[in-house]
Amino acid sequence: MIEMSHVSFRYGRGDWVFRDLSLTVERHRCTFLVGRNGSGKTTLGKLMAGILKPVSGTVLVDGLDTRQAELYQIGARVGYLFQEPERQLFAPTVWEELTFVLDLFGIDKKLQEERAELLLKQFHLQKVKHSYTYQLSRGEKQRLALAAVMINNPAFLILDEPTTGLDPRRREALAEILEECKAQGIGMVVISHDRKFTERLADRIITLGDGGIRDGY
Amino acid sequence: MGTRMSLDPRTKLYLVLCLSTLGVAVTDLRLLLVILAAAAVAVKAAAGSILNLLGKLKRFIFLFLIIVVIQSVFTRGGTAVLRLGQINIITDTGLVRGVQTLLRFLIVLVAAALMATAKPRDIIQGLIQLRIPPELAFMVTMAIRFLPLLRDEAVDMLTAIQLRGVNLKKIPLLRRLKMYSYLLAPLLISVLLKARDLSLAMEMRAFRAFPRRTSLRTLYLQPADYLVMAMATVFAVAVAASAILLS
Ligand SMILES: Nc1ncnc2c1ncn2[C@@H]1O[C@H](COP(=O)(O)OP(=O)(O)OP(=O)(O)O)[C@@H](O)[C@H]1O
Ligand SMILES: [Mg+2]
Repeated sequence: MIEMSHVSFRYGRGDWVFRDLSLTVERHRCTFLVGRNGSGKTTLGKLMAGILKPVSGTVLVDGLDTRQAELYQIGARVGYLFQEPERQLFAPTVWEELTFVLDLFGIDKKLQEERAELLLKQFHLQKVKHSYTYQLSRGEKQRLALAAVMINNPAFLILDEPTTGLDPRRREALAEILEECKAQGIGMVVISHDRKFTERLADRIITLGDGGIRDGY
Repeated sequence: MGTRMSLDPRTKLYLVLCLSTLGVAVTDLRLLLVILAAAAVAVKAAAGSILNLLGKLKRFIFLFLIIVVIQSVFTRGGTAVLRLGQINIITDTGLVRGVQTLLRFLIVLVAAALMATAKPRDIIQGLIQLRIPPELAFMVTMAIRFLPLLRDEAVDMLTAIQLRGVNLKKIPLLRRLKMYSYLLAPLLISVLLKARDLSLAMEMRAFRAFPRRTSLRTLYLQPADYLVMAMATVFAVAVAASAILLS
């Protein structure tokens, strides 16, 4: 469970993005965040993943206070897909991108390969397995970034506009993957401007605006 | 200490050139320290504070240790300070070389900070008045402008890596090196791609369509500029002379 209670946030001395916001996100469910550009969707996602810390109020990820916890502790529970996929791809090739984190964890080579192969298949990336990540198309980068985020089986996924750059077929495939994740019990928070995609997957839709939230479109 | 010298960008450029050339050419540790001190004084005069620069230096300690070990392992001779079986892990020459590299690095860094105190527009104008082609002047300025952007990108990447559950503090040395090399490559690539996009965008806006660009304002060198440049020259000659005498 991700619990936000009485959270207020602003960047530096700027205007308040949120004031006294409370929100709970559960596993097995798919929560969509919608709202105008600049309404604070990305900010809310980053608060939930502990990338940003609330100015006041608390954010608990499975009971872990994001203000006290280290980022990697939250990372072990939450997978976060940035709005710009470039910023979260590091390794030279697609294959290494998927395996190097497992390598850092000291996981057995054979298991690493099994896990990586599975994700490649799931995200239709087999063809580019040995390509350089910077040469991938926008949609391929997006899928690789998502696959990489899934590699350590997070309990929650926070996805910032995951459908940008995907063609209709890939979007359909992504919807299927997310449905499967939900069935596995992963809690999802998805930021999207794509109304069709949202209505297909959402258990709950939250609209952001004017420093607060409300349910529904 | 609120007073700031507003030097001409060309003067700053001259200072940067003097300091970094000396920093690369000189090998004597004492002289390198003197150059570093001079660079720090210059930045202090131009920016009013070197405190936040000093804060950043902490991060280079790790780099410094790596350099010391590499220099110790791969250069022959020197007395061992720390041995592991057959291999000298740290030798006195390694230490000296490490300190040398670190000082050089710092000098270039501090000198670059000096350039960052000039406004990009002024830098371009200054370079153009030095008869440097506008394209080149523009590129130099963009390189300086990109630095903060790069830092933001690096911070995002470190965040992303930790969010994959990686504890940066607990990674063994070799893997950590590999990880940093991973981070460096996409950063370089993103700079190159940005530069390419930018130059394309500039061409589209007819940046080079007119052989001579006219400028609204002209920069003039003030007496203070001449004074600072003269001081820098005297300093450079003095350091160079001592370097020759000491060797
Ligand atoms: N790093 C930052 N520093 C200062 N202000 C910021 C920063 N990032 C976002 N903001 C401001 O916070 C507000 C919310 O931004 P946010 O990025 O969360 O919006 P968003 O809903 O994700 O928009 P979009 O649909 O364009 O992605 C905006 O007014 C924005 O200008
Ligand atoms: Mg956003």
